[in-house]
Amino acid sequence: MAPTSSKPDPSGMLHGTLDALVLKTLSWGSRHGYGIAKWIEDATDEAVIVEEGSLYPALYRMERRGWIEAEWGISELGRKAKFYRITAKGRRQLASETQEWAKFASAVSKILLPA
Amino acid sequence: MRFGERLRSGLWKQRVEDEVDSEFEFHVEMRTREYVAQGMSAGDARERAIRRFGDINRVNHTCRDIGRLRDRDVRRTEYFSEIVQDVTFAVRQMIKNPAFTAVAVITLALGIGATTAIFSAVKAVVLQPLPFPDPDRLLAVYEEYQGGRGNVSAGNYVDGIEPVQKFESITAVQYSSFNISDAGQPERVVGARTTWGFFQVFSIAPVLGRVFTRDDDQPGREQVVVLSHRLWTRRFGSDSAVVGKEITLNGRPHEVVGVMPATFDFTAQTEELWVPIAFTPERKTQHDEHYLQVYGRLKPDATTAEAIAELQINANHLRQTYPNDNPELGFAAVTALEELVGDYPRRLYTLLGAVGFVLLIACGNIANLLLARGAARSTELAIRTSLGAGRGRIARQLLTESVVLSIVSAAAGVVLAGWGIKALVAAAPEGVPRLEQTAIDGGVLAFAVVVALGCALLFGLAPAIRAARSDVQAMLKEGGRGGSLGGVRDRLRSTLIAAELALALLLLVGAGLLIRSSLALQRVNAGFDPSGVMSARLALPAAEFTDHDRIALAFTQLAERVKAIPGTEQTALTTQIPMGPGGNSNGLIREGVAFDQRNGIQSRLRIVSPGYFSTMRIPIIKGRDVSEADRRGGLKVMIVSQSLAEAAFPGQDPIGKRIACCEPAADGKSPDYKTIVGMVGDVRWRGPGIAATPEFYLPLAQAPRGSWEWVQRTMYVVVRTSLTPEAMSNPLRMAAADVAPGVPLFGLMTMEQRVMNSLATAKFNTLLLTLLSAIGLVLSAVGIYGVIAYFVTRRTQEIGVRMALGATRLDVVRLVIGQAAKPVALGIVAGMIASAFLTRILSSQLFGVTPGDPVTFAIVATTLAAVGLLASLVPATRAATVNPTRALHTN
Repeated sequence: MAPTSSKPDPSGMLHGTLDALVLKTLSWGSRHGYGIAKWIEDATDEAVIVEEGSLYPALYRMERRGWIEAEWGISELGRKAKFYRITAKGRRQLASETQEWAKFASAVSKILLPA
Repeated sequence: MRFGERLRSGLWKQRVEDEVDSEFEFHVEMRTREYVAQGMSAGDARERAIRRFGDINRVNHTCRDIGRLRDRDVRRTEYFSEIVQDVTFAVRQMIKNPAFTAVAVITLALGIGATTAIFSAVKAVVLQPLPFPDPDRLLAVYEEYQGGRGNVSAGNYVDGIEPVQKFESITAVQYSSFNISDAGQPERVVGARTTWGFFQVFSIAPVLGRVFTRDDDQPGREQVVVLSHRLWTRRFGSDSAVVGKEITLNGRPHEVVGVMPATFDFTAQTEELWVPIAFTPERKTQHDEHYLQVYGRLKPDATTAEAIAELQINANHLRQTYPNDNPELGFAAVTALEELVGDYPRRLYTLLGAVGFVLLIACGNIANLLLARGAARSTELAIRTSLGAGRGRIARQLLTESVVLSIVSAAAGVVLAGWGIKALVAAAPEGVPRLEQTAIDGGVLAFAVVVALGCALLFGLAPAIRAARSDVQAMLKEGGRGGSLGGVRDRLRSTLIAAELALALLLLVGAGLLIRSSLALQRVNAGFDPSGVMSARLALPAAEFTDHDRIALAFTQLAERVKAIPGTEQTALTTQIPMGPGGNSNGLIREGVAFDQRNGIQSRLRIVSPGYFSTMRIPIIKGRDVSEADRRGGLKVMIVSQSLAEAAFPGQDPIGKRIACCEPAADGKSPDYKTIVGMVGDVRWRGPGIAATPEFYLPLAQAPRGSWEWVQRTMYVVVRTSLTPEAMSNPLRMAAADVAPGVPLFGLMTMEQRVMNSLATAKFNTLLLTLLSAIGLVLSAVGIYGVIAYFVTRRTQEIGVRMALGATRLDVVRLVIGQAAKPVALGIVAGMIASAFLTRILSSQLFGVTPGDPVTFAIVATTLAAVGLLASLVPATRAATVNPTRALHTN
């Protein structure tokens, strides 16, 4: 069930899951795009590979929706980079997506992992 | 919020393309570093990092597209939030300056309110389409005779108009009064006799029952009636069982066959019932009695021009076939709407123009107020500019303030307009079609908003542009007194004052001309003496009063009974009264010329009883009055008006001359000559302002055979009495009830009232225009005062210096008034020139003065010059009392 994939098809990830992961990542602090991808990969021991082809359109979309905001800043290596941070609206979105996910996971678990 | 604001300045000025490219480049670089750290070569690492994007160009484009949408959203939000800021600021400004706001809002609300009220009247009367399907296809058809429009004869209708192919349906209508006399009060209502196609022409279906069929429109079967919604509601209590019942009209039973919907009562003056006209075969051959109004509905593919062309062909044919009845006959057609509104569009648009001028004057004043305030605010604006507000932004801010001011004023103005409409409808003379339907609706609201925005642009644009252009450095250095721009501003303000004065002058000249016309009208001798004369009308029902002698006897009895009323000094009967509705005319042919209608002199018929001239105090210039001796079978006599005598017998004594009128002699061919026994003074029978036309009088006992039908058995009784109209009305009604029980006496009115009513429209227009020009005058006086007072305030220091250097108080007054003199003079000259062109619009409403009347122009120009002087004298006097020492210390 984990949204792993080596295919470039963004639909390989369950709908809305990438958004939730990005929002969750940003809830700990602002990061640039590479930082987000790297953090998710590290946190899941590379079980989840975030594809750039899905990540950036998702970031732009979420920015347009007002879930995240962007700002140019200086990266850890002294380079100019675009940092994203979660907004209040984004936090509300994250909460609702987390809830959806929990419901979905428990429903699927009832079938796949009967007690 | 702070984060967002920083983004706005830092990030979004960058192009989306660069944003995406550099973001991706950074990502690729980071990945490359990661792979190199894992031991890859730099080249492989970078290649792999790029490959991870999949189709990197496609992803890049996707991001750019989303980014562009995002930026557009942001710009929009930003724009709206700026508007909200501007509006909030504008409202705060208004609250902070309550005096300014009150003056500006009251001035503008009055202007916008008045304009909106008049516009709503224009909309109801002129612009509103008729409430019928395809109203553009509805035409009113007239006969044209000697350049004038007239009603149509039955023969000409049947032979010339009914066959026109371009009409889908067509109808002839005779409007007349009906006595309703069954259960309840006898009542006199206006109704119409129509051909059966009437309801097809107007394409409105009845709400109850049916309308006329071809069968109803036949002699002997015509005793059916269709009721209007108004009559049905008023008299029959909206009882649907009335259909199929009989009601008594003019003494004859009529079956109610249908009731029309309320929409068919499209003006307050429309008729209340319809009966079939049922032309007899004999009537269809009469070509010389013109009493019908004709309406036609064009076929969907036909044009008015085509219909008129076809009508003209038929007219030519009728002229050739009936040369005696139809000399010079032509047909004309206008749309039914044009026919309904007549010359009211012209009057109303004139009024709308006048009220628009008042609004413009108001805008001029507001512009001057704003310019003065703009000068006072120049420091504030300069500081805002230096803090980074763009000039466009400042201009927008100022314009927003104007718009907010206008919109607030428009809201107040619409409320005022609501009251104004009520007052207007109540005060307006009767008979303005559809005026009572004047209301504030969506269209009127839209008009008010557009006018308000127009005003905002007019008075807000100049100060806004000026503020945007102004030099920040200079402003700040000047200590905010705006001195370097003073000259330019003064020029603009002077121009505004001149324009206001020109408009005020225009209004005053218009009002002055109308007032002079009213005065002239009051001095006019209408040819009779209306004071102390009461008049009332009686129509005898056709069912009972069929016989000629019986009708004459009934009216004579009425006169005798009225004579017996205490207080009656003199009384007489007439079929037509000056300033009364309706009337008939005949072509009179004198003895000695061919008996041919082409030689006829169109003259108005009055059938009178002896004593009519002395009762009305119409002077008998020559000969005698009709007398009891002028009986049926005796010498047929006639009394002519002076203008008829002059037209028929120029330079000769008319007494004893013979003239034919009204009907052919008993043989049906030869002329029926009457001998002229008297000549009386002309009467301005259509109103004091309308020149007299030929009239002739026949004795009641010798009334022509057909005449009772022409006048519908109706006569007026006129009484010169010492009693008041109130005291007179009951005895008069009782006298009528004695002669014709159950028949209502109507049109009880003093002759003075009739004269007043004929002048009501003119008086109303005069009143309105006078009111508007007074407002215009006051507003422009306030404008002059404001500008000069501002000038004095700003120049206090300079005045102080001058006085310290020896200028006298008179010098100072002269300096200040000199400031006002130029724009006042300029305004007066410009206004005179404009008036010379525009007053022609009023010419149809003028009486006894020309549109360029020098007296009016001179009086108005002098008045305005005096007002200009007075308005500037107040601040000038204040300037003269300036204390030089104190003035030099102010700053």
